[in-house]
Amino acid sequence: MVSKTEESQLQQLENQVENGGGGAWEYLSLVRKLKLRRSDKVLKHGLALLNDPKKRSALGPDEWNLYEQVATAALDCQCLEVAKDCIKVLQKKFPGSKRVGRLEAMLLEAKGSWDEAEKAYSSLLEDNALDQVISMRRVAMAKARGDILGAIDWLNKYLEIFMADHDAWRELAEIYVSLQMYKQAAFCYEELILSQPMIPLHHLAYADVLYTIGGLENLQTAKKYYASTIELTGGKNTRALYGICLCTSAIAQLTKGKNNEDKEISTLAAAALEKDYKQSSPDKVSLLASTLKTMKLQ
Amino acid sequence: MSNGGDCSYVIGQNAYIKLALHALNHKTSAVNGLLLGRLSGEVVEITESVPLFHSSQIGLLPPLEIALITIEEYYSSQGLSIVGYFHANERFDDPELGTVARNIGDHIFRYFSQAAVLLLDNRKLGALQNKKDSAPIMQLYTRDSSKSWKQVESSSRLTTKEPSANIVLLDFISSDKQNDIVDFDDHLDDISKDWLNLGLFK
Repeated sequence: MVSKTEESQLQQLENQVENGGGGAWEYLSLVRKLKLRRSDKVLKHGLALLNDPKKRSALGPDEWNLYEQVATAALDCQCLEVAKDCIKVLQKKFPGSKRVGRLEAMLLEAKGSWDEAEKAYSSLLEDNALDQVISMRRVAMAKARGDILGAIDWLNKYLEIFMADHDAWRELAEIYVSLQMYKQAAFCYEELILSQPMIPLHHLAYADVLYTIGGLENLQTAKKYYASTIELTGGKNTRALYGICLCTSAIAQLTKGKNNEDKEISTLAAAALEKDYKQSSPDKVSLLASTLKTMKLQ
Repeated sequence: MSNGGDCSYVIGQNAYIKLALHALNHKTSAVNGLLLGRLSGEVVEITESVPLFHSSQIGLLPPLEIALITIEEYYSSQGLSIVGYFHANERFDDPELGTVARNIGDHIFRYFSQAAVLLLDNRKLGALQNKKDSAPIMQLYTRDSSKSWKQVESSSRLTTKEPSANIVLLDFISSDKQNDIVDFDDHLDDISKDWLNLGLFK
């Protein structure tokens, strides 16, 4: 997960590099560190670096990391020839390396040679059963082939071993949401909140899922988690503010207004939204007002 | 007319291009959008579109509900209403209209019985450079009497208003215009970003 400062740092570097202002290596390193998927830009600028012998030798031992990064990006962009070339260079430098073996298997994946890729991954896992990246490739392959249930299966097996991998839990939750298996998604977010209670994104996602499942109890719980998101973000989360308003409106509808619901929090949320819009999106203030009005009348 | 069984759909160039660019801006995930317009005789004129979401949480209700209320409010003052839904699948070789898309389509159908669901045809998009076809790169689905979304095979029922729409789209793609598209997700993350994309076609 990327913090706001990292996000803006990345954006800055990306703009700089895209406009010919240099800083390609810093950009590529940041993308690598944050494990982001920016394959077309990585391919473009990484390849430019690699094709320049002076710049390449200036990288020192990081040169090989760059080959790996560019190869992966090339696979994502279906530039298989570029990927093959990078892999060849790495094979020559590190013969018999498992890390390069992984890239070779990914090349098979990119080509669509699923069975061969599966064999390659299985044999790599034989020697090192606890390789997280390779285990994850199995999930990715299943997903790419459209075998979503298979992906869920592999991901669950993966989480039995690597249960602290939060990104994997999120991935599983997101797959469940895409299949409208909201209760299962809720379970994943509960796990995440238990292990990382201070991360507002988990609270927000959990609230969204509960609201989607519906029902009075879930709506009331969702409202609590939107509230905790607001607390954890110092009131700066637009989605959570809207969420409070939605919950209040939905609960009122369900109970036909007959409950003693805490309306104060939704008044506060609405006011916070109005303040934010006045400041950052003034031409939408009156639209916001009519949106909020519609929700109260619903 | 009680269902979408007979009408045809004409999508304006700007609305069409916005949706395609949105999909291209987020190649690694599913995206969706709303179609705005009006019914004119036996033709549904799709004059505007709003790109909605690109996160993998497309199946969640809260952001969708906010978007529906907000967008309906905004466009009703222009005499336009929500007339359909656009969806692009996550995977290139997935040509199916999934349940999330169908459910959202159903919701829109409740308010507009000639509602259309447009699904991005990835193969057509990929072939755009070579084929120079003027047909839209989307598949049309309407709800038939069996209450399910069926693909409309006849290509004459979905057309772009301007025949040169694909050429203009290719032009936009070559100048990386998709990077300028703002969707509702972007707006929720930063409300200073405008989902109206007013500056896009200037």
